[in-house]
Amino acid sequence: MFDAFLVQQLANGLSLGLVYALMAIGFTLIFGVLNVVNFAHGEIYMLGAYAGLLFITSTAPPLFAVLLFVLAVGAALGFSLERIAFRPFRRFRDEASLKSKAIREATLLSSLALSIVIRELVEKFFGASMQTIPQDYLLMTPVEIGPISFSSGQFVIFGLSIVMLAGLYFLLFRTRIGLSIRAVANNPMGAMYVGLNTERTIVATFVIGSMMGAVAGLVVGLYQGSIFPSMGFTPGVKAFVAMVMGGLSSIGGAVVCALILGMAEALTTTFVAQGWGDMVAYLFLLITLVFFPTGLFGGGRERA
Amino acid sequence: MKSSRTLTLALLAVLLLAVPAIGLLIGGGYIFRIATTICVFSILTLSANLITGTTGLLSLGHAAFYGIGAYTAALLGTALHWPVWLTIPVAGIVTACAGILLALPTMRLVGIYFAVATLGVGEIIHVTLLNWVGFTRGPMGISGIPPLALPGLPANSDMAAYLVTALCLAVTVGVVHRLSHSYFGNALRAVREDDQCAEAMGLNVVRLKVQVFGFACFFAGVAGALWAHSTGYVSPADFRFSESILVISMIVVGGLGSLPGAIIGAALLIGLPELMRPIGDFRMIVVGLVMFLSIMFRPKGLFGEVFAIELVRRRFGAAWRTGDRLGWR
Repeated sequence: MFDAFLVQQLANGLSLGLVYALMAIGFTLIFGVLNVVNFAHGEIYMLGAYAGLLFITSTAPPLFAVLLFVLAVGAALGFSLERIAFRPFRRFRDEASLKSKAIREATLLSSLALSIVIRELVEKFFGASMQTIPQDYLLMTPVEIGPISFSSGQFVIFGLSIVMLAGLYFLLFRTRIGLSIRAVANNPMGAMYVGLNTERTIVATFVIGSMMGAVAGLVVGLYQGSIFPSMGFTPGVKAFVAMVMGGLSSIGGAVVCALILGMAEALTTTFVAQGWGDMVAYLFLLITLVFFPTGLFGGGRERA
Repeated sequence: MKSSRTLTLALLAVLLLAVPAIGLLIGGGYIFRIATTICVFSILTLSANLITGTTGLLSLGHAAFYGIGAYTAALLGTALHWPVWLTIPVAGIVTACAGILLALPTMRLVGIYFAVATLGVGEIIHVTLLNWVGFTRGPMGISGIPPLALPGLPANSDMAAYLVTALCLAVTVGVVHRLSHSYFGNALRAVREDDQCAEAMGLNVVRLKVQVFGFACFFAGVAGALWAHSTGYVSPADFRFSESILVISMIVVGGLGSLPGAIIGAALLIGLPELMRPIGDFRMIVVGLVMFLSIMFRPKGLFGEVFAIELVRRRFGAAWRTGDRLGWR
């Protein structure tokens, strides 16, 4: 009834899309609050993977401990990223400059500059080649369900993205800090007027987003068996594309579009030719933007 | 008027006489190669500056248009054996047509949506260059592209390559200067500041955007052709997203919308890593740090647009006031 091969490819596409989605969640969270693109998110993802790997090779802890460690590292990275690349450019606190093109361009480029420096420094210290990962930690155990074979990492990624999404929605809609994050995302000046500490909220957003990015980097690194300095680049660009396709501030939309991109890529690679996968993903992007100039789930957002 | 002419002549003398003289004195093909690269990237940055700086459209796919120009020149030069003086303008025209065609679907988009659409266009072009093996020879690239030559100089000399590139740079600076300091340039700046307002004032914003894409892609194509001819080899790896980013950072370091800034940015981000070479291979770290520090301490760029325009207005003050001498339409 079902073509096993097709289902297998769909499953592969789904897990590829989930990799992009994991990254897109943190990316979109930060964009939603500050309205700026954080180009250094891919480097947080890479540093998360490296930190986890260093912890694994030094003490051989259980996987759960590694996850906690990487979460802590991600939080620290998010905090310092905000300090270095974003805070210095929020010089004025009036509404016009908080929403201005100038601050958006400045932070876009400062995060980009920082990401270049981080990537090159890691390359200097660890080398440009792939790191060797201890066999026990690789999430590549095959799991057979009927004629289709999965690897354990696909389940971990699937589970992780559900946990992350659920946790994020809980945080955003059921806690005080989530309330303040939504308030700042909606209207930074209004949030300031009713007495919210916007600076602290922005730091919290960066910490949460970077924790997610770092864990995503570790898990994807273990699942794909490849940890290298520029590992964050491709998923970063795809997450960016997915976020824009989804309409910028909609996290659910970004996840859906990341899945579409992943599926399109996997199916093209299998059925058309190796190498043309990116082409189809970007064609999807262009077609989406031609017919929905503010993304699929953008809705009535003000022009920026 | 007079002082502006002396300034122009002085700059031309530096470009065409002083740099070759230094190159010959120190006796390095190396100096010439770096100078050629700086000139190529200056043309590219000037063209990207028209889109990103003057018109305010963040384009993340500029390297791909540069790639189209390079591949056009390379294919015409190797497969059809066209002479160099023909391939360079043809590469520019082909790129301009491609740029207009590819830009048309993105004209409705604003802000970050436009940036991502150009990123998509750029990646589509890159994937095509990489995978259309029958036409572009894929990742192997095209080698054996005829070098730039000037009558009277030995063929295949680095100095000839430099002089041709420098001449093209001088022409580009002249044309972009006239474009951006005219009614057309002012209209572009109006689109940048507020496109809805510009439209309400009667400017045809879509037509302006298409026109500026045409002009900018023409020069990007010329830069690509010069790159192909001066290195003799092109491969898709030279026209990636990271190159677009490099061009954007050159514009930002120099000053968005500023014409001298574009050249300063290109010279700095190509030249500085080369100067640092003795210390070790820290090229990209230097690029990143220069970029970060310049955004931090000179947010308007090293040679900001307002300053640059003021300078030009003071020089052409008389012509500007009487009105009709400097007009474009």
